[in-house]
Amino acid sequence: MTDFYELSDKHLEIGEIARRVVPPECGATVTLDGYVRQFTKGRETEYLVYEAYKPMALKEMSKLIANAREKFDIANVGIVHRLGKLEIGETSIVISVAAPHRRAAFEACEWLIKELKRTVPIWKKEVYADGEVWVEGGTAEKGK
Amino acid sequence: MKVKLLFFGATAASAGVGETEILLADNVRADRAFESIFAQFPNLAKNHDKKSLHFSVNQEYASGSETINEGDELAVFTAVSGG
Repeated sequence: MTDFYELSDKHLEIGEIARRVVPPECGATVTLDGYVRQFTKGRETEYLVYEAYKPMALKEMSKLIANAREKFDIANVGIVHRLGKLEIGETSIVISVAAPHRRAAFEACEWLIKELKRTVPIWKKEVYADGEVWVEGGTAEKGK
Repeated sequence: MKVKLLFFGATAASAGVGETEILLADNVRADRAFESIFAQFPNLAKNHDKKSLHFSVNQEYASGSETINEGDELAVFTAVSGG
């Protein structure tokens, strides 16, 4: 098993991350490249800052991968989340899922990003020309 | 007893600190511990809807029924917004 989950202060190379999950018995890797949006609800963002509760974030990422393996027929998962200051268009998260067949990889990748946004303790600060705000997740549930 | 207390992002801004130590009654339940934290950091309740905040004990989400021990690591934070 070559799953991995990491937090990084450096620029993410998605191709390199995606290749790390591929075992020989797989036929498809689905990779999400999440990056910094310039306009959110019409307001222009200058840059983002991500902060994490690092040890807990890594624990939660590990749990996510274990749960995804139970739910989907997948081989390997790699998740790397960027921290610190990110400019517009920079990759903030890469999730790569390798599977024998593409459907499970697509489904697992979607499930993983949805759950990550709900459970992994990482926060985003949006900085605008005239202010800044720590974004609060909308769908997080307590105790999960 | 002494425990470690962490805040992140918006709660760190409200508390005016990211990491500190506080004193709690010995072996207090987590829900009582968090009430004590609200009393010690009044800006938390002022700036946030308490019900929207999350709590963790030793890097696991807390339900409130956990027993807190000396040296435990507690954290209070808003709904996460990674991705």
